[in-house]
Amino acid sequence: MKTKQTTKTTYRIPIGPIHPALKEPVAFEFEIDGERIVDVDVSLGHVHRTVEWAATKRNPIQILYLAERICGICSYCHPAAFALAVENIANIEVPERAEYLRVIHAELERICSHILWAGVAAHEIGFDSVLFLTWQIREKVLDLTEYLTGNRITKGIITIGGVRRDITKEHHPKIFETLNYLKDNFEKLRKVFLDDKTFRMRSQGCGILTKEDALKLCAVGPTARGSGVKKDVRVDQAYFSCADLDIECITPDVLTGEVNGDVYDRIIVRLLEVKQSIDLIEQCIDKMPVGDIVSEPKVAKVLATLKKAGGEGIGRMEAPRGEVIHYVKLVEGEEYPFTWKVRAPTYNNIMPWVPMLKGEQIADIPIVAASTDPCMSCTNRVAIVDSGKKYELNKEELHRRSVEKTRRFMA
Amino acid sequence: MMAGKKRLTPEEIVKSFKDEFKAKIKNTRIERRTKGSSKNEFVHIWMKIDKSSFKDSVKHLATLQKYPHLAVASGNDLGKTIELIYHFSIYYGVPLGEISINISVELPKSKPEIETICDIIPGALITEREKQEMLGVTIKGIPDSRRVFLADDFPEGVYPWRKDETGPQKMIRNLHEVKK
Amino acid sequence: MKFSMLVQVFTQMFKKPFTNKFPAKYIPSSTTKFLRDVGSGKAEIIPPIETPDGFRGKIVYDKDKCIGCKLCIKVCPSGAIEFKPEEKKVKFYLARCVFCAQCTDICPVNCLSMSNEFLLADADKYSKNLIVE
Repeated sequence: MKTKQTTKTTYRIPIGPIHPALKEPVAFEFEIDGERIVDVDVSLGHVHRTVEWAATKRNPIQILYLAERICGICSYCHPAAFALAVENIANIEVPERAEYLRVIHAELERICSHILWAGVAAHEIGFDSVLFLTWQIREKVLDLTEYLTGNRITKGIITIGGVRRDITKEHHPKIFETLNYLKDNFEKLRKVFLDDKTFRMRSQGCGILTKEDALKLCAVGPTARGSGVKKDVRVDQAYFSCADLDIECITPDVLTGEVNGDVYDRIIVRLLEVKQSIDLIEQCIDKMPVGDIVSEPKVAKVLATLKKAGGEGIGRMEAPRGEVIHYVKLVEGEEYPFTWKVRAPTYNNIMPWVPMLKGEQIADIPIVAASTDPCMSCTNRVAIVDSGKKYELNKEELHRRSVEKTRRFMA
Repeated sequence: MMAGKKRLTPEEIVKSFKDEFKAKIKNTRIERRTKGSSKNEFVHIWMKIDKSSFKDSVKHLATLQKYPHLAVASGNDLGKTIELIYHFSIYYGVPLGEISINISVELPKSKPEIETICDIIPGALITEREKQEMLGVTIKGIPDSRRVFLADDFPEGVYPWRKDETGPQKMIRNLHEVKK
Repeated sequence: MKFSMLVQVFTQMFKKPFTNKFPAKYIPSSTTKFLRDVGSGKAEIIPPIETPDGFRGKIVYDKDKCIGCKLCIKVCPSGAIEFKPEEKKVKFYLARCVFCAQCTDICPVNCLSMSNEFLLADADKYSKNLIVE
């Protein structure tokens, strides 16, 4: 608001592209008036690695491993969606046992990702003991993943037509031991996140995304479900063997009875999804049919089939952060694909940041941005140019402000 | 969310589009596949629409479901034309009822222009900006036409997804071809 | 409970830490002196945690069984395998390997396998430790 005498204007703070509060290199420019945010401008593109172009020089089996390395935390969903798209084009029939195995690995990854997010959210609020507690629980799940697939993060277990390794009766004792450990500790996590006063004070009423905005801006994943929109690819469209299992779409009114669309609601959705995933893994192990784990064990034959296949197809699945969609176009007679388009779930969740952040304070930026769970992690500094004087807010400073706000609430 | 509106089957959806736009729709196909032991099926509909009636067809889609979900828009360089494919999905929220609708539009390379759909679906902004910089398509009426993924000092006129002379061939450096 | 985390933090004081302190409990002030002590028996390296079966470590190549079909080169995602035409055998560059084990899966004569060796850090990309042939 400007009058003729005074020269009160808004500051512009750039945050990013690389910053502790954000886990993906995104450049924000905030216009702030005092401590309140008036407007937000988002700019992307800082980790552009031409992955889609690199795929035009590789055959589909090599692209599976390239797709895995698009992201570290959701490294299973990209090869899975790619395999779904290619199987749709070439009409490859996947055996039922392989579908159940794929669901088990997808749910294990969902548990790891949500627990990691819970720790990071606690760290943004200033609650470091919870960070270490949750990551300790996550270590056990990663040990189980290493036992089943050979590696902790980039599992390399999906192939076109099925999976590469089986889960036999010898693996069952370790799986059940880890699941029981998780179930015992889930109660601890639930008490800390949902009953503890600190979390409620910081997150309720903060970063609200209304249902109308979530529908218009095509938000996906827990960001949309926390606002009451029932979008979940596992429930809506049949892929893998999700249609046989007992899944329902989780929205915050399952626990509290009302939907506000704030950060607290998104915490509820993610924690309840961890519980749902544990249940789904048990269902899968129960119902798993006998059979092959891959439709064609000789990889050279698969490559020959794909060379003859032509057409276009899409593959969609539910990653921990939302809906992933891949579009592939193959040309008959050529080994390399003509086009490959990847759309990670965070790209749809970037536009909802604008209505969520307007009206909030600077100290809330880390927790609100982290509540949509953007997908990578780095650190850097923030510079404020203030009418000629330049000073820098470094990582410690921004984090310190967020922690101080918590202490103010507690006093 | 959608109480009172009837859900159409895939054939009825295609028929409603054909009735509305008659000859402007070509090459429709409905793909049905089944997954899992209980053999539940999922449906993908592919349609090709003339450029002039693209925006009306998106409005028609919005009458079937109030806020259709736009996943992403992908693009192909087909020699003389550029093809844009918009991946929508409707009837989400209904268990096992979601139908994916893929609408493709072909634009001639001499005049690659298309209208924006940001007034119907505000969430389409980022994917439209991406098409502008990656394929050289001009989107008329877009509220914000800055680059989204490429760096600001990337040369003008070079379009990474194209396969002709405006492609990025000259900018590639094969780092690993040092003799091992 | 209002501050349930306090109880958790308190009980943690009496439990063994979750971290395995590999290779030593505290960082040695001089790495070379530490290694000399280990060699002469004065100090001990705490071993890392056991890797499970099926762990994908350094590749093991049985040269005699290899028939030179080049299928492993076709599927390697990072181009880490080179063909030697005179002998009709291959050479692996571990500096570029992503440890995906796709070459072990596709080999028709099963001459490749993955060991559980993972301590492969080196300063030189082409040192003897990182080339398998």
